[in-house]
Amino acid sequence: MATPLNLKELSKKEVLLTGGHRMCSGCGAPPVVKMVLLASEYPVVASNATGCLEVSTCISDYTAWKIPWIHNAFENAAATLSGVETMYRSLKKQGKIDKEIKFIAFCGDGGTYDIGFQSLSGAMERGHDMLYVCYDNGAYMNTGIQRSSATPFGADTTTCPAGSAVPGKLQQRKDLTKIMAAHGIPYVAQASPSHWSDLMKKVRRALEIKGPKFMNIIAPCNRGWRSRTDDAILLSRIAVETCYWPIYEIENGVLRVTSKPKEKKPLTEFLKPQGRFKHMFAPENEWMLKVAQEEIDKNWERLLKEEAFTAQQEPAKE
Amino acid sequence: MKGNNAIAEAAIQAECRFYAGYPITPQNEIPEYMSWRMPEVGGTFIQAESEISAINMVYGASACGARAMTSSSSPGISLKQEGISFLAGAELPAVIVNMQRGGPGLGNISASQADYFQAVKGGGHGDYKLLVYAPYNLQELWDLTMLAFDKTDEYRNPVMILGDAILGQMMEPFVRSPYVKPDLPEKTWALTGCEGRKPNVIKSLFMGEGELEQRNYMLQAKYQKMKGTEVRFQAYFIDDAELIVVAFGIAARIAASAVRRLRNEGHKIGLFRPITLFPFPERAINEQSGENRRFITVELNAGQMVEDVRLAVNGKSEVLFYGRPGGAMMTPEDLYEKLLQVYLFKLTQ
Repeated sequence: MATPLNLKELSKKEVLLTGGHRMCSGCGAPPVVKMVLLASEYPVVASNATGCLEVSTCISDYTAWKIPWIHNAFENAAATLSGVETMYRSLKKQGKIDKEIKFIAFCGDGGTYDIGFQSLSGAMERGHDMLYVCYDNGAYMNTGIQRSSATPFGADTTTCPAGSAVPGKLQQRKDLTKIMAAHGIPYVAQASPSHWSDLMKKVRRALEIKGPKFMNIIAPCNRGWRSRTDDAILLSRIAVETCYWPIYEIENGVLRVTSKPKEKKPLTEFLKPQGRFKHMFAPENEWMLKVAQEEIDKNWERLLKEEAFTAQQEPAKE
Repeated sequence: MKGNNAIAEAAIQAECRFYAGYPITPQNEIPEYMSWRMPEVGGTFIQAESEISAINMVYGASACGARAMTSSSSPGISLKQEGISFLAGAELPAVIVNMQRGGPGLGNISASQADYFQAVKGGGHGDYKLLVYAPYNLQELWDLTMLAFDKTDEYRNPVMILGDAILGQMMEPFVRSPYVKPDLPEKTWALTGCEGRKPNVIKSLFMGEGELEQRNYMLQAKYQKMKGTEVRFQAYFIDDAELIVVAFGIAARIAASAVRRLRNEGHKIGLFRPITLFPFPERAINEQSGENRRFITVELNAGQMVEDVRLAVNGKSEVLFYGRPGGAMMTPEDLYEKLLQVYLFKLTQ
């Protein structure tokens, strides 16, 4: 029987990403990985793209992973895992292995939205039985906080620095979760570690479905966001409550927002505690706050409409 | 100013107005610097979504006549190889900076010279060469970056600056010598809009009978011309040297300390430092070789330039090798001990 998703029972399970790794204190990525692995009731083989998580968990001869783990390069975690998963299916067919094993890729936003997008898209289209998890902290944190296509509008990074000529990043972030949904794969979800039970339920759901699955999980980075060290979970919660990071799932085309804030908070509550948005609060940059809020509102309304629309299309449940 | 910033500012001074890059350690200071500096001078900075896109953006900008540059470090340079081959095939100028780190694979982020073969023997597919500069201090990073922009335009051939993690990250004083643009032919080949003239064509695809071979002979003639006029090197204490150390880039910097100390102790040891790795100073090395001379190449790799030194010496002298592959660093003290042993005891390896 599956471990119930409550803290008492989960605390009895082995944590598969051990402490002692070199991720920064207060980083949002390790709790995300721990939650994903704790949720699984199956043995997991993980692949990892180059990034903070990869370099900090496999220093020298040591590994923080208590599961089989493979890293190749920056742009190809999904391709590498495609190879591993295909070999597994072949061995299974040959009768050399009978265990039910799940395959999960863990990659940051640089390795997912940007350089790894081609291999991700290919793996999803081919239909490999894997769950691809993007831990999205919104920049290339490992190399020194350069902008990525997941960096939110307005953010100050080392390659879109806020100065007198340019006030930070002028492009909106890519809506990767929707792009993955457009691949027509059976399961796509967005989650947040603040809503841990929701996150773990989504992982469980994903692992029960055969075929390619994608999850985008927000993972605050206090170095890049220039926020307080102990605010990762708080900020990921505010991200949900401001609808900056709506949490939802799309299963076989049916969209369901899994937690709707009772009262949608203004985006400034998410922006204010983060140093990367500080310049947006200067009087001459007020227009940026407006643009950022409008984008959030537009996306949130569209999401609700999509939910209502796809619910109508849903075949009646027996 | 860090070495990486020196390269970036030298490029700005040399009228580079297009830069495309992608994050990779240990060269991140270059895109970071360009991201705020380019807008100041009316240039364009683009952070691409991968190294492959960055090099191809350079292809596009260069085709339009811009002075264009990209930079990366070893794994990223590997990704750029197709684009570099296309630049060479289409005869497009571009400056490509490789701040080398240890490989193969992801390796690590400390300095290395293991991309020597990749830089000087082609790297990508097809019979092409880059003009390759190997600076060994910040002054040369500054000066050679400026020179690279002139040479890439002069030859319509991509030029590589082959640096490493140490040069990129270190700071030292240097003179910010002003850029003086030489007389270069106008870029009449560039795609600038063909109103009032015949359209230009830039391509590396030659399907007509004999076309590609002709193109290749033309490229080879260009490389021969570089061999005749672009060779640069420096020699220290070699007139009476019985043992000549051959080293480039940061290894030459380390070797210089060891050689100076050995000289002070009265040992007849000299240093030969190629500044261009292609064209390689093969004639100069050949002229120095002879029966009473031995050579030892010192590299931060498992032995790459040593092959070119052996070809240059062509059997006239013994050529030894000392190096540390990716992941290790040699100190002047290590090298001093090694050279002393080789010198005193006539070791053969």
